[in-house]
Amino acid sequence: MSAAVTEKVDDDLWSAIGDPTRRRMLDLLLIDGGGTATSLGQQLPVTRQAVAKHLGVLDRAGLVRAMPTGREKRYLVDEAQLARAVAQLSSVGSAWDARLQRIKRIAEAIQRTQQDNND
Amino acid sequence: MEFGTIEREIYVAASPEIVFEVVSSPDHLKQWWPDDARYEATPGSSGEIVFGDCDAGGAVVPFTVVDARPPRTFSFRWTHPADKVAAKGNSLLVTFDLSPSGDGTLLKMTETGFREMGWEVAVLEQQYQEHVTGWDFFLPRLLPYVATLQVRP
Repeated sequence: MSAAVTEKVDDDLWSAIGDPTRRRMLDLLLIDGGGTATSLGQQLPVTRQAVAKHLGVLDRAGLVRAMPTGREKRYLVDEAQLARAVAQLSSVGSAWDARLQRIKRIAEAIQRTQQDNND
Repeated sequence: MEFGTIEREIYVAASPEIVFEVVSSPDHLKQWWPDDARYEATPGSSGEIVFGDCDAGGAVVPFTVVDARPPRTFSFRWTHPADKVAAKGNSLLVTFDLSPSGDGTLLKMTETGFREMGWEVAVLEQQYQEHVTGWDFFLPRLLPYVATLQVRP
């Protein structure tokens, strides 16, 4: 895969997971072990059509997979892709954890130095 | 968990005045994050932070101070295009809120803008996350520097 394609995929992944309704849908699909546009629509304050549209976005980002069963497509969460999305964001969070630890140590070293000077 | 926003809180056993200096001044910033920092710690000031060596594949990243109210709030935007004014949608916004707590300071950090900017910028953040290997590298640089430090009253 070229770098440009990878970037596009990541961008789709990010937009897909950035929407609160879609995150709620992912939660429901994980809890229920899958679902259809109809079953999700019954549990969310949005129309079945809106649910179908959101499912399309999740599908394109690789976060859900459609299984053609019966009259309506049944969707399952692609857990590997979801884990990848979560890991990418949490690595940014851990970068801040490290920065804040350094801020803490620097500030506390200054505080101690000032106290020593005053003693 | 809100995807697109990072929130952290940490207790620091130092006064808000000291913590404010550490999170806001360019000389301090480069002790805990980039390799170099050039800006004035006043609202609207634009400058840049530098990761690595510019002559050897390093990166210069725009940095604009949004708010500076010692010793309570310091916020800045970064990663906007160098020829554009930093604004919502083209940059990440980092806000430090400080509140006195016991003999120290409760420091709250939020970084927002990932959702508006798409994914590439989070990859960018990730690339910059650990330019120093840790405190063993840091401490020798820091100690001579602390001794000469002046904190504004």
